[in-house]
Amino acid sequence: MAKARSFSATALPGFAAVAMLTFIMLYLPIITLVIFSFNAGDSVSQWDGFSLKWYAIAWENDQVRGAAINTLLIAGLAAVFSTIVATMAALGTTRRAKFKGQTWIYVAINQPLMVPEIVTAVALLIFFAMLKKATGYTGLGYMIVAHTAFCIPFAYLPIRARLESMDLTLETAAGDLYASPWQTFRHVTLPLLLPGVMAGAMLAFVTSLDTVVITEFIKSPGQDTLPTYMLGQLRRAMKPDVNAISTALLAITLLMLCAFFLLSRKRD
Amino acid sequence: MMKATFIATALLLGTAAAAHAEGELFLYNWGNYTSPDLIKKFEAAYGVKVTITDFDSNDTALAKIEAGASGFDLAVPSAGFVKVYNDKGLITPLDLARLPNHKNIAPEWMNVAWDEGRTLSVPYQWGSTGMTVNTKVYGGDINTSAIFMNPPAELEGKINVIPEMGDVLALATMYVGGKVCSEDPEVMKKVRDALLEAKPKWLSMDYSTIEKMTNNDYGATVDWNGSAMRARIGNADVAYGYPKEGFGLWMDNVVLLADAKNVDNAYLFLDFIMVPENAAMLSDFARYGNGISGSDAFMPADMKTAPEIVTPAEFVKNGQFVLTCSGKALEYQTAIWTELQK
Repeated sequence: MAKARSFSATALPGFAAVAMLTFIMLYLPIITLVIFSFNAGDSVSQWDGFSLKWYAIAWENDQVRGAAINTLLIAGLAAVFSTIVATMAALGTTRRAKFKGQTWIYVAINQPLMVPEIVTAVALLIFFAMLKKATGYTGLGYMIVAHTAFCIPFAYLPIRARLESMDLTLETAAGDLYASPWQTFRHVTLPLLLPGVMAGAMLAFVTSLDTVVITEFIKSPGQDTLPTYMLGQLRRAMKPDVNAISTALLAITLLMLCAFFLLSRKRD
Repeated sequence: MMKATFIATALLLGTAAAAHAEGELFLYNWGNYTSPDLIKKFEAAYGVKVTITDFDSNDTALAKIEAGASGFDLAVPSAGFVKVYNDKGLITPLDLARLPNHKNIAPEWMNVAWDEGRTLSVPYQWGSTGMTVNTKVYGGDINTSAIFMNPPAELEGKINVIPEMGDVLALATMYVGGKVCSEDPEVMKKVRDALLEAKPKWLSMDYSTIEKMTNNDYGATVDWNGSAMRARIGNADVAYGYPKEGFGLWMDNVVLLADAKNVDNAYLFLDFIMVPENAAMLSDFARYGNGISGSDAFMPADMKTAPEIVTPAEFVKNGQFVLTCSGKALEYQTAIWTELQK
């Protein structure tokens, strides 16, 4: 009886249809993009047979290769750094008694979510220009710092959500059994938190991967990423090499997803 | 893992700091606009490593250069922006003694409105803004802005307009009989009314014209001549019209930035691209004209006689340079454009 009455979204009329439609809307454009990356012709919408030539063309393009390396390097480092900071921030805001001004801390941490990207971009442009003039250093460091900063909230939210769903009993028990705070963290909190940390890192990686505006404004010479490279193609003829690049990016993301899934399954 | 990351970062910061070695040149150009073969040729000739960085709009490029410490040596702004760069003190006047090939600049591109005597900039590529029409869809006169301002019935709902404020408003202003960058409220009101009346007959406002003209998705589009040529090569029914009411002309120019660090290499490059053979290489890649005398001989065969690249003599007089408007004119343009985008 109780079972029949309980609410389940899957039992709603039209659930399957809506779900299918959503998946089609989400994935059809991506599938089209992937298919046309294998087009033999020049067109991004007219099929002329199968070929890998656009992959070869994209790979032989020094600018594309440089942009690919920049993109992965920046996204990888920004994901690592922002996840570390976000984990510490999440611990600091959940594993303690409520304190005055907590809301403001949340606001401060999530600032990049609320401030329009263009505002951050212009502010960073001016600030970094001053630093570049003063120090003479124009390397990728600026890009990594900037990406780390705006990736923090994306890493923070899943980690905090995970922490809030974990009650304190296990940590209290560890404390009762004379574990030091570090041991408790290392052997109790962190393993339990790991799925959240993984999710946060992935989210941060993906966010960094597709950021255009901030990158466009703060990049120094030779620091194009794949998104800014593709933006530059906009006014000119779009060719399937852009599809090939996007497909490669997609493949990397999918591979990472699978790897993380396998890793986190093992630990469970 | 963490240790490796730190080491990687340290290495990265280290190498980047040492990147200002001898024999480098940093070029800031529109995306997909610099011939890789030309760059390879230049690198081989002078042993200079060229780094190309893309921008997607004049405004972004200006904002970055104006902020300072951009790290670029050469930039390629559009005609109207050369003056803006100069007024803000962002570029260095050229030492013509170091540019023996300066004499190759075609006479018509020597004393241009934005740079009398070419002491600030050298030509990169130039082109026109006109009408690309599928002549199977519409068989009438294509040398008119009426194609998009007062579309014939055959083209209704099949027209694209590139989302480029300056170019589109220049065509519209000339179409109603006004001067480009008009500050006359009467004229601009006519422009606004005409555009708003035409808009329901358009299909889209999009950049990707080549593809859609080739596949017959569009019947006509406001277009740049280089795209028009590419579309025609893909679809023989496509033709390019030069509006008799007036069509737009544009040019991108290479300037030497005031804070350039590799000035010698920059001069080498500026002189290099004014060699006719090299200018033709730029055109071969970007598919536009280059403004260098004698480059015709080296142009690729499909461009030499292309009616989109070589403006037919009878239309030349209708071409008008479209510089960026300022003051009241720009205010009117922006207001009309905003209304048009709704």
